[in-house]
Amino acid sequence: MNALEVRELTKVYPEFKLDKVSFCVEQGHISGLIGRNGAGKSTTIKSILRLISAEGNVSVFGKDFLKEEMTVKQMIGYVGGGFQYYPMNTLAAIRKAYAPFYPSWNQSRYEKFLSQFELIESKKVKELSEGMKVKFALALALSHGAKLLIMDEPTSGLDPLSREEFCDIILQLVRKEGVSVLFSTHITSDLMRIADDIVYISQGKILAACSLKELLCKYKLAQFASLADASAVNAIGVKAVKEGFEGLLPSDMQISENITVTDATIDNIIVHLEKANEEKKHVESD
Amino acid sequence: MLNLIKKELRLCLHPTAFIFLFFAVLVFVPNYPYEVIFFFSCLSIFFSCMMTRENGDIAFSCALPIKKEHIPFAKMLVVFGLQCIILLLVGIIGAIKGVVLPAEQYVNQAGISANLVLVGNGAILLGIFNLIFFPCYFKNPDKIGVPFIVGAIVIFLLIGVFIVLRWATPLYSTTLNGLNYENTGAKSVALAIEIVVYGVLSAVSCELSMKNFQKVDL
Repeated sequence: MNALEVRELTKVYPEFKLDKVSFCVEQGHISGLIGRNGAGKSTTIKSILRLISAEGNVSVFGKDFLKEEMTVKQMIGYVGGGFQYYPMNTLAAIRKAYAPFYPSWNQSRYEKFLSQFELIESKKVKELSEGMKVKFALALALSHGAKLLIMDEPTSGLDPLSREEFCDIILQLVRKEGVSVLFSTHITSDLMRIADDIVYISQGKILAACSLKELLCKYKLAQFASLADASAVNAIGVKAVKEGFEGLLPSDMQISENITVTDATIDNIIVHLEKANEEKKHVESD
Repeated sequence: MLNLIKKELRLCLHPTAFIFLFFAVLVFVPNYPYEVIFFFSCLSIFFSCMMTRENGDIAFSCALPIKKEHIPFAKMLVVFGLQCIILLLVGIIGAIKGVVLPAEQYVNQAGISANLVLVGNGAILLGIFNLIFFPCYFKNPDKIGVPFIVGAIVIFLLIGVFIVLRWATPLYSTTLNGLNYENTGAKSVALAIEIVVYGVLSAVSCELSMKNFQKVDL
């Protein structure tokens, strides 16, 4: 059973459309939702959680979100960036208001997380660093026994050390507690560290939803001496670089010896797929 | 629902929501338009909504295991509770004033006396404010100013109407004015009617707010 199944999620704004977004998060997996700024990552997450009204179906551990909203929300821990709420209130005041909503709230577990994350409950939210805010949001989400963590850019605004620490915590949660995770980010190094699967969204459309390994094996990064060389092999998202041109080629393609190919990173794949997508959009608009 | 109400009380209410309740003692001020006391109650709603926005409370609440329409319902139940308290306090303190002050000092030259009908007038003012403010606010919880200004203008116009009625109509200037033990029956009927009107206006406001909030994208 999948932890999360999203089917044909659609939301239309005057200037943006989330277009039939479909993907799954497997149980016990970490899925990274990636895409450039404005690609629709936050809209997707908000649509999943019904923070915005969107068409389409969402089910969590086989339960339909709309039909069993209360049960489903008990299973979800939502971390929207850091903890941006109630800056003037203490962590204790927030916990006291938050915990009664969850019959499965485990106070000793919460206290364990507080000590693990070095959080002091008498502090006010505004007194916490960005990293601490994320940790507090995690402590709240995990103390009610959330089986699925949905996080919207939890690592943006964190320094590299805090990001590393965050990734360690998530990995530990998945390994020890069997939690499933969907988190959006545009920091690809975090994905390389912890993600099992990738959901890649661009201009409101899913361009890839597969395992990280599969995505990385799908393309090779090719260097070309001229644009004509790149065009000759139909390279994807060709762009000028310092020494000639660069583009993606499908891994299963027969590649001639005069083209230099290397393994593509997620960054390479995103940059070139985005470029190809933009070119396609220009052609369609012309 | 009880948990949501507790959360409202713990995290969302501005201190003025409680402080302004004490403004019920203004009924002891001689010759003052006592209906203004109820405007302070409306002002505290405005402050609490500001606090809700600054705290990101609505987005936080939406992620909790509750139905979306429960959010406006809980917020409004808390407000109705506070409004009932101020109505009760004005009634009680007004009655105390009637007991401790001589009758000639009890009569208000700037509006209706601090009697049961004042409580009823307050209920009408609060009910109308609820009907104007909340459905508009829950259409877009980020915009609090416009619904409040429209609500406040209507409230002050109505206060003006009540003052005119106090001087222009025998019903308000004689029958419904003065101490509670004079024309008690008429005053009680007026109060009962006004309380029912408050209940209906608030219920309609609640229904509209819940409907409007369903369409809000956070």
